[in-house]
Amino acid sequence: MADKDIKIVSFLCNWCSYGAADLAGVSRMEYPADIRVIRIPCSGRMSPKFILSAFREGADAVWVSG
Amino acid sequence: MGNLLEHMGVERDRVHFSWISSAEATKFVDVVKEISEKVRALGPNKKFVKDYN
Amino acid sequence: MEYPQAVPLKYGINPEVCLKLTKDKCGTCEEVCPANAIDYTQTEKTLILDAGAIIFSPGFKPFDPSKFDNYQYVNYPNVVTSMEFERILSASGPTMGHVTTFPKLPLNPKKKADKLLAEKRKDPKKIAWFQCVGSRDMNKCDNPYCSSVCCMYAVKEAIIAKEHAGGDLECSIFFMDMRTPGKEFEKYYQTAKEKHGINFIRSRVHSVTEDFDTHDLQIRYADEMGQIVTDVYDMVVLSVGLEITPETKALAGKLGIEMTANGFCKTDSFEPVTTSRDGIYVAGVFNNPKDIPESVLEASAAASAAGDALSEVRDTLTKEVAKITEVNVVGERPNIGVFICDCGSNIKGVVDTAHVTEYAKTLPYVTFADENMYACSQDAQDKMVEQIKEKKLNRIVLAACTPKTHEPLFQETLKSAGLNKYLFEMTNIRNHNSWVHKNNPEIATQKAKDLVRMAVAKAALAEPLREEKINVNASVMVIGGGLAGLTAAKSLATQGYDTHIIEKKEVLGGEALKLFKTAQGEDVGERLAELVQAVTAHDKITVHTNTTLENVEGFVGNFKSVLKTGDKTIELEHGVAVLATGAKSSEPTEYGYGTDERVIRTLDLDKLLKENDARLAAVNTAVFIQCVGSREPLRPYCSRVCCTHSVDNAIALKKRNPAMDVFILYRDIRTYGERELLYKEARELGVIFIRYDVDKKPVVTIEKDGLKISLNDHVLNRPVTIDADLLTLAAAIVPRRDERLANFFKVPMNDEGFFIEKHAKLGPAEFATAGVFLAGSAHYPKPVNEAITQGRAAASRAATLLSKKDNLFTSGSIASVDAEKCSSCGVCISICPYSSPRFVSEGRFEGKAEINGVLCKGCGLCVASCRSGALHLRGFDTNQIFSQIFALGEVV
Repeated sequence: MADKDIKIVSFLCNWCSYGAADLAGVSRMEYPADIRVIRIPCSGRMSPKFILSAFREGADAVWVSG
Repeated sequence: MGNLLEHMGVERDRVHFSWISSAEATKFVDVVKEISEKVRALGPNKKFVKDYN
Repeated sequence: MEYPQAVPLKYGINPEVCLKLTKDKCGTCEEVCPANAIDYTQTEKTLILDAGAIIFSPGFKPFDPSKFDNYQYVNYPNVVTSMEFERILSASGPTMGHVTTFPKLPLNPKKKADKLLAEKRKDPKKIAWFQCVGSRDMNKCDNPYCSSVCCMYAVKEAIIAKEHAGGDLECSIFFMDMRTPGKEFEKYYQTAKEKHGINFIRSRVHSVTEDFDTHDLQIRYADEMGQIVTDVYDMVVLSVGLEITPETKALAGKLGIEMTANGFCKTDSFEPVTTSRDGIYVAGVFNNPKDIPESVLEASAAASAAGDALSEVRDTLTKEVAKITEVNVVGERPNIGVFICDCGSNIKGVVDTAHVTEYAKTLPYVTFADENMYACSQDAQDKMVEQIKEKKLNRIVLAACTPKTHEPLFQETLKSAGLNKYLFEMTNIRNHNSWVHKNNPEIATQKAKDLVRMAVAKAALAEPLREEKINVNASVMVIGGGLAGLTAAKSLATQGYDTHIIEKKEVLGGEALKLFKTAQGEDVGERLAELVQAVTAHDKITVHTNTTLENVEGFVGNFKSVLKTGDKTIELEHGVAVLATGAKSSEPTEYGYGTDERVIRTLDLDKLLKENDARLAAVNTAVFIQCVGSREPLRPYCSRVCCTHSVDNAIALKKRNPAMDVFILYRDIRTYGERELLYKEARELGVIFIRYDVDKKPVVTIEKDGLKISLNDHVLNRPVTIDADLLTLAAAIVPRRDERLANFFKVPMNDEGFFIEKHAKLGPAEFATAGVFLAGSAHYPKPVNEAITQGRAAASRAATLLSKKDNLFTSGSIASVDAEKCSSCGVCISICPYSSPRFVSEGRFEGKAEINGVLCKGCGLCVASCRSGALHLRGFDTNQIFSQIFALGEVV
């Protein structure tokens, strides 16, 4: 399958992983473009409903990172 | 969560949880690569997707 | 730009190498800069500022080891400084975080000679750190002081190097004394030894030679038994010390600031951030070598000292910002404006921004989309305000860099356009997109479109949010009347806040009452009496002695505490609290303590010295034993002050009676900073230092005519016995563990009972609980000057909060309860880490949950846990997150 067809819905904590993603950018690191980031205030905000909903909407994977 | 999804037919490798501090850019990139590889190996998800037709 | 964390994150021109400036050639950067930011005509300008006080924090330079011929730093490519090694470990450093030999070669060398060397590049298997390079050394560099930070950073670098390199990297640290006297540092050192397997070798390395072919490094050193050892390492890291530059010394001289012989600022232990020149305050390494938390503390303390001095003229120069009335958008159909930032070529170079802008115009509710070269520039912002007003936009989406740095800036823009600042959504198409997918412009453009679509979907649901005003009671409660508490109280009272000191005992002064002299020779009794006098006489300070705390309720700005003095209880309302409950000497259980009056503790010796006790005249041989109860499994921390204290007292004894034999039995001498000079002085006066191992402790036998102390001499490597008539034990310092107090303020304690601060490095004088501050030895054992510094720092942090009392607001992005749906299950109340939710106690919604907006940090934990769907997180509400997921689903 073509690379661009993969969609990974990523819920990133504003204070942790979102910052790491920013830093990865500042450091000009390269990584696959499959992730679509949804910024959440804290991983505690996550609810199973979001994960189910993401799959329902056609996500190929879900990643939650604090 | 993994169990529930597996029960519904969604593979384990489609849900990932991790903890990365804001200083760990390298780890962030490693995790993205790892997840991306695993998911590509599985191919697109077909289970449980809302049917628009 | 020196490093990627520079503030501001902007490029500058080095005038020494710029061809345009030196030879008037080139000029390429001016031609290519799309923002026209290059201006070669800028020159040095002299500005004259009127200031009431100056804070001087010029910092230091790492020691330059070039002149040490025995380590060959200049000639051997695999000898690096610790500062260079920091960069090697950094993911954004020259080797991208990869630990490799020949680190200073370019990653892809072009020159022939470099290419040849680069072929020899390998992942090192053995790395050695040499401590005290440019510190504790009079022979080669004239720096007799200890730089205080190198032991810890070397341990840290070794651990990280092992983490980066994997299991088989061997790290060895060559040291004289391992100095880890900071909070949690000793445990870190032990973990490095036991868990990470780092070798610690007590030796000063004599010389390094290089293999001509492989460039491996052969080092020669004498081990503890005096045997010469040679060993081969792949890399050597020189742990360079901290130095004050000649420029700083010259500037300080010009300002009329008195300095020590080593160029550090001279300060009094009781005014530790005040220079000899009135109105100039000091912070950081210029005021003696120190690490991050201590620099942060001094910075806050210097601010408090300057604040005290200027308290009378506070707020006389404040200008009001004109307020712009907010347009009411509730009930309006969303009118979304999308702004796409090119960030010069940072985004536009990869993402087809024009295409994304056109695409944005097709999205639901979007009535306007525009592209900016630099959305954050002043003219772009002004234009944005115009466009918002003209097109009557009521929701704004910005696709640019990261909201973590730029969201507040654009929220201000919204405000000046009359929009509520929460009607804004920012999506990151630079850090998360153009910068990381630069080889894939097509995919990056697709991703940018997805991100914009998601942001638009979320913005359509954005509501204007209100920030509630927090009422702050401008009075202070200080718990503990020791040095730190007194200092904090005095500073806050001087700045005009009503302050109450709660002291359990009858008198103020705390443990400092028992001290003889500071390490700098100031008389503690005299100076403490002056401080107590000033505090007692201050009309803004109320002292409650013989008083305990019975209860505390409320939160930042609105605490209510119950104090008990004898049978009387009173209620005190206060806005903030400073916890300064101190620490005390432990009761040793070894070396015959308690069975013979010739075995005493450090503070007992202070008492004898203070009172000039006749017993001292009869002492011919005095012995000190260090680390009694510290740095052992039961108390795995270093008590920080004992080495300096014993060395100081040994000097005092020697000065009283030069014929007296004085021995100090130690594990590592930890006289950090310029305290090292005392250690040197003691040795020069003939004090004998004998090192012992924790598994071979000295043995004390008590006999009628004297104390017999036997141990193994580390230099002679044979047993020695000392006949002594006074034995002073440096007993561990223990906190006054107070679970009740910790519960009152919901503040945490570590395993040993010291309070845990908000942030070990950046928040050392405050707690995570808003409005509660921390000072003194309740945080960690500390000498007089450091306790006073932290007292001032806590006062400074508290004053920062109190001075904002008229414009302190909650965040708008907090949780709220839909009381109709709430089932009163109480899950939110038990799950919230900040104790924000509570049950309504009366009225129509009695028994339902409500959120205290002052305490809510907006994490959303309660929202996710609410099974009734009654909780909402404003700004990140469930429907908003769903909208982003749906928006993503639309094209899949």
